[in-house]
Amino acid sequence: MKGFLCEDSLEGIFTGIYDAWDSGLGHENVKLFMKGQYEPEFFWEYEDVAPDAEKSEKVARSIRRKISGEAFRVVYRAALSAREERADVIYRFLIEGFCHGGVALRLLQKKAVADVFELSRKVANEAHQYLEFIRFEQLKNGVLFSAISPRSRVITLVAPHFADRFPGENWVIYDDVREEAAIHMAGEEWVVAEFPKAQADAFLEDQGEADGYVDLWKVFFHTISIKERENPDCQRNFLPLWYRKHMTEFL
Amino acid sequence: MEIGKNIIGLQEKLRILSDAAKYDVACTSSGVDRKGAGGAIGNSVAAGICHSFAADGRCISLLKILLTNHCIYDCKYCLNRRSNDVERTAFTPDEVCSLTIEFYRRNYIEGLFLSSGVFPSPNETMERIYEILYKLRKVYQFRGYIHIKAIPGADETILDEVGLLADRMSVNLELPTADSLRALAPHKSRDSILKPMSRIQKKIVESRQSMGQTARLERAWGVKSLSSGLFREESYQKRLEAEKDGAPLFVAERGAGLPSVRRRQDIRTFVPAGQSTQMIVGATSESDYHMMMVTQALYRQYDLKRVFFSAYIGLNDDSALPAPGTPPPLLREHRLYQADWLLRFYGFRAEELLSEEAPNFNVLLDPKCDWAVRHLEYFPVEVMSADYEMLLRVPGIGAKSARRIYNARRFGRLDFPDLKRLGVVLKRAHYFITLGGRQMFPVSLEENRITAGLISDNRKKNWKLTHEENYRQLNLFDDMKLEAAPEIEDFKKAAGGQL
Repeated sequence: MKGFLCEDSLEGIFTGIYDAWDSGLGHENVKLFMKGQYEPEFFWEYEDVAPDAEKSEKVARSIRRKISGEAFRVVYRAALSAREERADVIYRFLIEGFCHGGVALRLLQKKAVADVFELSRKVANEAHQYLEFIRFEQLKNGVLFSAISPRSRVITLVAPHFADRFPGENWVIYDDVREEAAIHMAGEEWVVAEFPKAQADAFLEDQGEADGYVDLWKVFFHTISIKERENPDCQRNFLPLWYRKHMTEFL
Repeated sequence: MEIGKNIIGLQEKLRILSDAAKYDVACTSSGVDRKGAGGAIGNSVAAGICHSFAADGRCISLLKILLTNHCIYDCKYCLNRRSNDVERTAFTPDEVCSLTIEFYRRNYIEGLFLSSGVFPSPNETMERIYEILYKLRKVYQFRGYIHIKAIPGADETILDEVGLLADRMSVNLELPTADSLRALAPHKSRDSILKPMSRIQKKIVESRQSMGQTARLERAWGVKSLSSGLFREESYQKRLEAEKDGAPLFVAERGAGLPSVRRRQDIRTFVPAGQSTQMIVGATSESDYHMMMVTQALYRQYDLKRVFFSAYIGLNDDSALPAPGTPPPLLREHRLYQADWLLRFYGFRAEELLSEEAPNFNVLLDPKCDWAVRHLEYFPVEVMSADYEMLLRVPGIGAKSARRIYNARRFGRLDFPDLKRLGVVLKRAHYFITLGGRQMFPVSLEENRITAGLISDNRKKNWKLTHEENYRQLNLFDDMKLEAAPEIEDFKKAAGGQL
């Protein structure tokens, strides 16, 4: 019984999958864990997996070729999840996927497929909700700045949407949980960069400014609700409280 | 954009004009996919994006405002009617544009929903709306979503121009019958509402056909293939209806020949996200059956994308209306929306759900469950082999889960836990399905029993409502018919665990 400890990145997980598969111990005798998110057990031996670009590329290529492009996207989203079982869920799915090929994603009666589908769906839903609930704040220098605290690592999923929407703007979407940010300069491609909290704070300190449109938005937000229909349960259902931390209208 | 000193004035205007616009229900930003472009701002996503949810739980997707709340009309249900003494104001085109763009940049909104009071005349109002639209699209290069309310009575030529710049247009039907419209909106006639509606439809058809698309709008996956469905072009039912009404169905001017095909760069789509309308629920005495039949006719004849319902909120004191303070009929509105979904996504028809004899929806059961318990002859449905169409009709199976079942069952047997994983709501579905010939629990197909079961699942409140009288505390001795007093041996047995 052997556990493979993956680093928290697509590359880390794919390398773990490569090594576990390559170990030849049999699928039922290996399990993948995320480094720092597992409980060691007796009689198990654990191995640290060093991310390796070449191995990870091989896994990615096999998924695209032997299963489908859609399967790769599903796996990619699942890997962005914060759930500790994500690496193993992807591994179990790939066993089914390499066996059944392109139809694997439809075999939802198989637990391995249903699990990866569920993880991927959760991440996709969260990413969609961030398309809705991200709020930009206009800084003194004209940069649009947004802070979010997502459960899954969604910035690479939301950035393309905003790059398409605001090609002529400088904007930053800052994930304050993972301390990284998607950064877009007017007219250029977006990039993901590490963005330590101290740096973000300093950045906001000298650029933050009272923005007249914030108040206008609050006025609009409060008047548009119909008093006779008030329904906080319904509101919470669509807009859970934990999203509201960074939303202008609830600050 | 400089808003500087005027901010207080603008805040006040925004408060008045969004307050006046809030009773319009449509706030969807769906139906059109448009990529962003260099040098421009904005894009649009077909699925629609909500940006916030107000305290009443309604989505805020668009900047929903009136251009002005001055109005020459005196519709009884409306807060902005001429005879009401309310604060009146109007936005300038620049104010609307900068609000839209600046809110959009901060990701507060998905676009603009512009409506207006009619002032000083329908044409002039519509021209002002056009001016704003033109500025947004051409000067600000705004590619986000724009929903425009067409003012009844405005000229066709101006509607045609507006439609080329907007994504969605809507004309509010307000009331389902000509009579109630006459009673409550004396300045509007049914004709003045239906005319722009059919004009917009005609232009949509032309624009779609010139781009090689079908005359009618795209609908959700598989809906058009449902034989019983509403959107089946050549279905027998449709012709039958048309004959009965005596009115010809709108057909894309068959005699007129095909519209000329324009060169690619000339093509501007006309209202690509389709048109919608809205009806007030509970201000007049129409039954749900009536509302649904009108809804269905609107989908068929005018190919509307959506029909919205708005529970009437008593604002004006008028003898023709429910008294102010009457609670809005929210449950009724909810049932109408449920039924609307059944029409648009599940292949139901209005006359299947309701009839002249039973013209209103069941308060305790949703329309789909209600239909199912009244038609037990179709059930139980064998999930492994049933048609897609029949799967859709099972309570607890939705469009997505039906599709997943359809895909998964080809590759192997399904089990009840599998169904749960596919998204089927078993607590409703289990009465109506078998898997490999077996039911999940041995329940008999009896109308009363299933109804009771479904209602008890529905809500604690519903449960209380129906069971309050039958409910009693379980009493060990009564229920076991132990009339004789227990004897000493019984106590011994009980102590020893034998009883």
